[in-house]
Order: sequence, then structure tokens, then C-alpha cells
Amino acid sequence: MSAIMKIENLHATIGGKEILKGLNLDLEEGKVHAIMGPNGAGKSTLSKAIVGHYDVKITDGDIIYKGESIVDMEPEERALEGIFLSFQNPVEIPGVNNAYFLRTAVNAKRVHEGKEELNAAQFLRLMKELVNELGMKTEMINRSLNEGFSGGEKKRNEILQMMMLQPELIILDEIDSGLDIDALRAVSEGINKMKDGKRSFLVITHYSRILDYIQPDYIHVLKDGAIVKTAGAELVAELEEKGYAALEEA
Amino acid sequence: MRPVDLKGISGKRIMELSLANKSMERAAKRLAELGIPDRKSEEYRYFDIEPLMEKEWEPAVKRRPQMIERAHRLVITDGMISSMPEGLEVGCSDTLDLDVSHFDPMYYFGHLFGGDILQIRVKRDMKLEIKHIFTQPGKLLTYRVAIYVDANVKLGIYESFEAEEAKNALIVSGIDLFAARDSRVALYKDQTLFESDYTPLFSYRFKIDGNAEVKFASFDMGSGNGLQTLHAQLHENSSILSDHLLYAVENARRGTVSKFVHIGRSSQSRQRAKSILADRARGIFDALIKVEHSGKYTKAHQNSKAVLLDSGAYMASKPQLEIYIDDLEASHGSTTGQLDEKELFYLRSRGIAYEEAKKMLILAFANEIIDSIDDENIKERIHSSFEYSYYGKNIIECIQTCHGCEKTVTMSQND
Repeated sequence: MSAIMKIENLHATIGGKEILKGLNLDLEEGKVHAIMGPNGAGKSTLSKAIVGHYDVKITDGDIIYKGESIVDMEPEERALEGIFLSFQNPVEIPGVNNAYFLRTAVNAKRVHEGKEELNAAQFLRLMKELVNELGMKTEMINRSLNEGFSGGEKKRNEILQMMMLQPELIILDEIDSGLDIDALRAVSEGINKMKDGKRSFLVITHYSRILDYIQPDYIHVLKDGAIVKTAGAELVAELEEKGYAALEEA
Repeated sequence: MRPVDLKGISGKRIMELSLANKSMERAAKRLAELGIPDRKSEEYRYFDIEPLMEKEWEPAVKRRPQMIERAHRLVITDGMISSMPEGLEVGCSDTLDLDVSHFDPMYYFGHLFGGDILQIRVKRDMKLEIKHIFTQPGKLLTYRVAIYVDANVKLGIYESFEAEEAKNALIVSGIDLFAARDSRVALYKDQTLFESDYTPLFSYRFKIDGNAEVKFASFDMGSGNGLQTLHAQLHENSSILSDHLLYAVENARRGTVSKFVHIGRSSQSRQRAKSILADRARGIFDALIKVEHSGKYTKAHQNSKAVLLDSGAYMASKPQLEIYIDDLEASHGSTTGQLDEKELFYLRSRGIAYEEAKKMLILAFANEIIDSIDDENIKERIHSSFEYSYYGKNIIECIQTCHGCEKTVTMSQND
């Protein structure tokens, strides 16, 4: 299997403080990688570094995506190339219509791929189908982006965007936080439908709960800015039982 | 016609005019007290008034039309009615229940030098469109409109402006609005100015009787200079909602100076200003809400938010409360900054280019005020005005669902 992304000796700072300290990670095409680790390990910083967040300054190392370095690319260029981050806390943007936003994003990607833009009718048909699949209220389409949405609605809206944009590398940052059982099931079903053997996933999580719904192929433990262990799905049970501290002792 | 030297207007000339009647006498007295504004005048301190006042102005000619045409809207051309809807009760008079506590000297100047006041009486629920047309370049045009809204009547006004040929003119005008008990009035002012267009110095006066509601919303756009001053008096259980959207570019100096006075008990005011400033534009929001001893249980809130798109842009924002009682609810706030970085990043992380993301956020910022317009037709027109200003002079594209219209509109400058 080839790697869709290779992260090599990545050092990154936020506000002058080094968070990632020589992180190495290969993400295989078509596989689900889960990153687990204690608070403050650098999990969210890693996701931000991959998508080009303005908070993160890369001081050394490289991120290679589909054979090319992306560290100098703008966030929108990375997105157009197929990288998608589902945010832990999606921002609310009053006055930006949800449907208009998503149509702009979908058409930007289509233009980038040399396809024709979707007209309003085509777009709405597609969007409504997915909205129903995710058990979202249709009125959410015409509301302002994430404004007044509950935690669960925001996460469903992230998944809706993911399904509309059809990215190739999907990063899910604490996708299960703030979700009740029903919302978690709906969100997980949406994610599982996106699995096609080619698309890759990077699931960032504190807890194993989400991994009951999205079966990971690899578990990586991130501690103090670096990957300290990589294993198969069986590692989840071990971490549940012994905790992250046990890794150090071992 | 004698030129008008604004700075050199003598007390004698003012006193001559004051002999006409009692209201002129009051106007003359107040103008003499306040004086013609200069750079030290409190209400004009952020506006570049000096060059306008130093110039010797030739008065515009007010041409009485041979006949007033019937039309769906009231059209005022150079201060004279040129067409009006059937059934609208309009008259002219040189007397008015003058607002003797207006803070703007140009309010009194307008009354003194504007000749007869166009007076509109509204006795039944209606929607009224007023279009002002200016055709005389380099001239000083002074006129005023008074609107009397009877008790229990609901009135919606859309006020627009067109400069056929009025480069470098100075327009001193405005509306005296009398909202009688239990009336409901909404006044939407839609004014786009281009550099070297006319300069409007508009003063509004709102007398709001018991239980009456006034909603005033101004949509000021473009690269020209202009100032509006507002003075509202709120009586028992009355209210005013005042929204101001400003989109100023290039060297524009534009804004609002206001004073809302709560006189009666349980009256409410809410003032909201949103300013988007680009290039070297200066925005002004200098607003005072005063609650008198008699204004118990008042609710008064004012807020100003400004976005500076360029380092040369500047916002003079000064929301103020002056309160003489304890039993009330009041707040004020002001923020000036750039577009929200988190919001920009979120849009970009979905593949939307930086410039497009910026445009979306600016439209969203403006839409918060535009979308609060109740009348769908007026809302659509204001959206068009804003997008026309925002996207440029020649071709604009309505950005589909920005306001839910789900269509693409192309407009030329002459539409």
C-alpha cells in the first residue's frame, strides 16, 4: 500500500511554544488511522499543521501529500487537493447562508477538478439527499453557517460538508465530542459510507468510543509531540485497560 | 440670486428671515445660538466641514413644474415635487412645529433658507416611496420635508436619491417626522454617493408620541462624503429602532451623528451601526442616548461594529449614554477590527479562495442589518444597492443564496 501522506520529522510551534517535536507518521491510502493520546500531546496541533492553520508555525520537517510537500500551500489549495478537516469546534458565521457557503465550496472544488459547476437545482437536490441521510433538519440548509446549531448539529454539518466535498484525506478531530448516541451513530454511518478503499482517514480522539463505530486499521499514540507507538486496533483495548502512562513504564 | 457665504451669514440676514413667522423666528434664534458649523463644532468634528463652509455657494434654482405628474412614487426634483402618487395629501407651508432642541445648526439653516416646507399628511396605512433627484452642479440646494403620520396609522417609506448632474453640489435637507400616538413608521434611506457627487448634510427629526414606533434604517454606500444627523424625542411607551449600514471606500467621509432623548416612561431605543471601511475611508458614528428624569423604565441599547479592510481606513465611533435615573436598562458598545481570522480560515479550509472568503464575510456582516428589513421588496432593493456598491460600477452578480434569492442578477450602472 502506498502512503497518501508522509509526515517527516515535523517540528511545529504555537505562539512560540514547540508542540510537535519531530513527529513522523505515514498515512496509508484507503486506511483508517487513529491518533490517540493524553491532553496536550499535540493531537489538534497535528491536524492544524496538516491543513495550514494560521496558529501553527512549522519550524522543521515536512508534510508530503500525494508525493508533494504542502507546507507552503495555502489552506484553500490543500482543501482543493482533497484534504478535509472536521473541526472539533466548528466556528459560527452569522450572515453566511449554509447552502450558499457549501455551494461555493463544492463548485470551487469542481472547477479545480475541471468539472462543470453545479447549478442551484442540481446542488440542492444533492444536498437535500445527504441532509436526509444524516437525519438533519432541512431548515438547517438555509440558516446561517453553524449559527445557533447544537453541538450535534454542528458535527453533522461537518459530515455533510465532507460528504459533499468528497475529499481524499479526511481528518476527524474529536468528532465524537458532544454527541449523544443517536448523533454519534448518524455521524459514524456518514463516515463509514465514505470508506471506499481509496480514501484515507485520520481519526483524532481521546476516547475509544468512536472507534467502536469506525474501525481503525492503525492506532498511533501521540505523546509530547511525537508518535511513541503504532499498532493495530488491538492497542485500543490495551490503552483502555492500562492508560497512556503504562506506555512510558513499558 | 445672491450667492450664499455660509461662514459669512450675518446675524442681520438671519434676523430678516426670522420676521416671516414664529417658527422662522425660533429657527433663527437657534441658528444664531449654535452658529454655522466649523471644525470645532462638536457634531461635525469628524467630518470635513470646513471646505464646504468656506465656499461661496450659488443657490440652486427651484423650478416649479408646470404640472405634477401622477406616478407610483413621490419624486422631489431639486426640492420641488415633480410627480406624486394619487391620493397623497401634500402641501407647502412656511410654518412648522420646529424642534427647538435639535443639536445640528444645519437643521435650522435648512428651515430658514429652504423656503416652504413640503408637508405630507398620512391618514391611512400606506407604503410611500420618495425619490430625491438633484440636477444642479456646484449649487447649494436647501429644502425640507415634513411627514405627519396620524394616530394608529402604519407607514413604510423607502427614500432613494439620484444625482442626474449634481457634481460638487451641497444639499442641506432632511425630514421632520411626526409619529402620532400608536402609529408605526418605518423609514429606509438608501443612498449611494460617488466621489465628487453632491455632498448631503441631512438632518432628521423624529417626534415620537406615546405608544408609537419608529424604525429608521440608513444604508449609506460609496466613495462620496456625507453626514446625517438624527434627533429623536421619545414619549411614553414609544420606541425607535435605528440601524445604520455604512460601506465607504476611497476617500469617503460618511456617517451618523445622533441624539435620542427618552422623555416619557417605558420608552425604548435600540441603535445598531455596522460600518465597512476600505481604502482611506473614514466612518463616523457619534451617537448619544439621553434618558431624562422623566424617562423611568427606559430600555436603551446602542452598539457599533466596524470592519477596517485597509490600513488607511478609520472609524470614529463614539456611542454614549447620558442617564439621569436609576430604573432603566441600558448598554452601549463599540468594536473596530479586521475580519475574523477564525471565520476566514474556516471558509478557506473548505477550498474557498481568500478573496472570495473575504467577500462572503463582508456580505454576511452587512446582511445582518439588511435582513432585518421587514418589507421583502425593500430588502431586495437594498441588497441590490449594497451589492452594486460592493462589486463595482459596471456589472454585479448577485451571489445567489446570499439572501435566499437563488438566482443570478446582472445589473448595469443605469439599471
